Amino acid sequence: MSKTVLTVDDSRTMRDMLMLTLKNAGYRVVQAVDGAHGLEVLAGENADIIITDINMPRLDGFGFIEGVRQDPRHRATPILVLTTESDGEKKTRARNAGATGWIVKPFNPDKLVDAVRRVAA
Amino acid sequence: MDPLEAIKATFFQECDELLADLESGLLELEGGGGDMETVNAVFRAVHSVKGGAGAFGLEPLVRFAHVFETTLDEMRSGRLATEPAAVKVMLRAADVLADHVSAARGQGVVDEAGSVRLVGELKALCGGGAAEIGGDEVVMVDTEVEDDGFGDFDFTPVIVEIGGSAEAAPLDPSALPTWRIGFKPSRAMYAKANETALLLRELDRIGACQVTLNADNLPDFDALDPEESYFSWVIDIETDQGEGAIREVFEFVEDDCEIAVEATGAGVGAAAPLDVPFSFDAPSEPLDTPALVAAPEAEAAPAAPDSDVMALLERAKLAAAEIQATAPVSAPAPAAPRAATPPPPPPAAATHPADGGDAKASAGTTIRVDLERVDRLIDLVGELVINQAMLTQRVGESGLARSSTVSVGLEDLEHLTREIQDSVMAIRAQPVKSVFQRMPRLVREVAAMTGKQVRLTTEGENTEVDKTVIERLSDPLIHMIRNAIDHGLEKPEIRVAAGKPAEGVVKLCALHRSGRIVIEVSDDGAGINRERVKQIALDKGLIAPDATLTDEETDNLIFLPGFSTAATVSDISGRGVGMDVVRRQVQALGGRISITSNPGKGSTFSLSLPLTLAVLDGMVVGVSGHTLVTPLTAIIETLQPKTNDVRLLGPNGAVLAVRDAYVPLVDVGAVLGYRKGETDWTTGVVLLVESEVGGRAALLVDAIQGQRQVVIKSLEANYQRVEGIAAATILGDGRVALILDVDALIDVRRKDARRSAAPPAARLPLAS
Repeated sequence: MSKTVLTVDDSRTMRDMLMLTLKNAGYRVVQAVDGAHGLEVLAGENADIIITDINMPRLDGFGFIEGVRQDPRHRATPILVLTTESDGEKKTRARNAGATGWIVKPFNPDKLVDAVRRVAA
Repeated sequence: MDPLEAIKATFFQECDELLADLESGLLELEGGGGDMETVNAVFRAVHSVKGGAGAFGLEPLVRFAHVFETTLDEMRSGRLATEPAAVKVMLRAADVLADHVSAARGQGVVDEAGSVRLVGELKALCGGGAAEIGGDEVVMVDTEVEDDGFGDFDFTPVIVEIGGSAEAAPLDPSALPTWRIGFKPSRAMYAKANETALLLRELDRIGACQVTLNADNLPDFDALDPEESYFSWVIDIETDQGEGAIREVFEFVEDDCEIAVEATGAGVGAAAPLDVPFSFDAPSEPLDTPALVAAPEAEAAPAAPDSDVMALLERAKLAAAEIQATAPVSAPAPAAPRAATPPPPPPAAATHPADGGDAKASAGTTIRVDLERVDRLIDLVGELVINQAMLTQRVGESGLARSSTVSVGLEDLEHLTREIQDSVMAIRAQPVKSVFQRMPRLVREVAAMTGKQVRLTTEGENTEVDKTVIERLSDPLIHMIRNAIDHGLEKPEIRVAAGKPAEGVVKLCALHRSGRIVIEVSDDGAGINRERVKQIALDKGLIAPDATLTDEETDNLIFLPGFSTAATVSDISGRGVGMDVVRRQVQALGGRISITSNPGKGSTFSLSLPLTLAVLDGMVVGVSGHTLVTPLTAIIETLQPKTNDVRLLGPNGAVLAVRDAYVPLVDVGAVLGYRKGETDWTTGVVLLVESEVGGRAALLVDAIQGQRQVVIKSLEANYQRVEGIAAATILGDGRVALILDVDALIDVRRKDARRSAAPPAARLPLAS
């Protein structure tokens, strides 16, 4: 069975890009439009890997990661942070919130799939 | 379409939305409203534009967006106040950003100088920090060098110094360089869902590995904390990819582990004991990577039933016993519970923290549908309506009682059909906001060009109207607003002299009125200079010298083709396109435009459009053997004219007395040319109608046949435009019926009346 990736991003473009890339790589993709929506989706879907943006309305990436980690089911789910900001501060904050790794936008499909593979059991 | 192209199209679509959000957010800030979330939303808009642009390699867009974003970030972090001056710069930056987006889309070009100037202004706003965001050194990706030098996934080839001394140099040229890696993860690494096994798997991808586990620190089982990290590893790897590739494997975890990478020469066997920063005791039995990767997936435990958990615990116990028995000999990895394994969730914690499911994301509940599909659906529903009408008529003709089950069932069907139709129409309805949102920029630009101070206020932007109407609303609106600023508003000094505030107000307002949408563009300027308008019309031969015109008629002269009041053709509204074009555009939509003006106080353009271009509630009437449909929205009442109430006026005109007022009588049959000769005003039925401009008239028809919803079929598309007729429809019996254009009918009659009342010279070509 293919693995399920939850992508959380408020940009439709980015969601479409992730969907296209990940589907081509054989993953099943579920989407959420912001952190709060992401947690809602996770309540009903089991994701093997989570990819999330940082800057989002309602609940940003940091809050979302913390929310995911609080759920016993997802304490060990790999979370990749997706953001154009590669500055150390953001990465550190994401890491402190419990992120597993990160992807710097813009990404090419290979890089993305590579990163997912690196953290996916 | 190529999927990437499709996503790119989505991106531009999204850009439009983001730019609109950006602008409305900035306008809110400019008005003193808005809070931190507004600033955040504005920031996110630019950020998302930049993100998407980056993905498609749209460099100029990314560069500009980056500077903009950086400045907004200053605002977001509170270092830059949301004061009007700063927001004004950002509003202009938003305009330039929109230009960049258009350019990236292949539409139009960017005013490079203006763009560069704004970059400068944005940087100036950032003050001291400006140097950091110089536009020239902005790169596509923020690949600032991280503390480790691997800020990005990009594999950076690293020059590997192999030893540098003779004995470390590879002895066998065919042998690959070898490295020894010391790796001791911390508890935090596992808490972030990183896995040693995965890291080893990655290492295995770049070269042959020999992995040695050190489990010396594993405590007694009683003291074992399942989430603690007890193990460390030494990996000997043979790879030609260099230290960079090795470090990259550990990129995500380097802050949460101790790691050392040393070159050991060539050939795995060449590895000599090394002085790694943490001490490894004699390495225990070597394991090769695949074995380790194949380690039992202990993390299946949380979800697994009790028996699995018990089995796991059993194994862990055995392993612990073995460790105790053989200490200090290390335990083989497969037997040891993986430190990263989360414990089975305690029952109390099993509930997930999802808060109230009713807080559904609104964005998640919308779908995007190809417009063609909706249109096809609308077409089909239109056919359904016609079919249902036909069926009703047939059943009626068959002489079935009204109370028969068939008739009752048909009635239900009629209700359903109508509901389906309404629902389908609602799919196409959109708030006029999307058009209104484009106007603030226009106002800013026109204001700057004309040197006038303008404030735009909008009202009713959530008023919904059919998508096709919205799409075609933009051009007339743009023209009307340009006109209002350019011709309507006075220069600041003149306004002040006239006792008005220097800043003029242009108001854009949308509302529903009797089944139509009315859009008004009003200004508080000088109003129409009727003397000048009349003079110009005279000079251009548009009216006869002795024509007597009411104020309203004078005002409406500006809609005549070839009329332009600007003394000098300005850059703004004088592009050879006059209000006559606007009028034509509006008429093509089945709408009407009128103007009311109040000297010294301003003018109001009023635009009235049908809500949908697809269906209409109509009164079916018979005229000289023809079946016609009158839009129900226009009809106030119907009555039978009495001889006493009809007053003849001129050779073939008449008015009807309706409750102490006289309204012009229009013989529909005569106007449409169905019959000639004198009208008998007292036979037939009169429909009292109200025209868009507010005037009433009485339409004389032969008989009323009933009330029906009809599907509008364009007459222009299928035949040609006919004055007095708005469109056509197909009735239940399959016959074509024409739909009356009430206003045009009244206009025709008015013209005729004037023609007969005054000599032909006074002919007013008011109605096109």
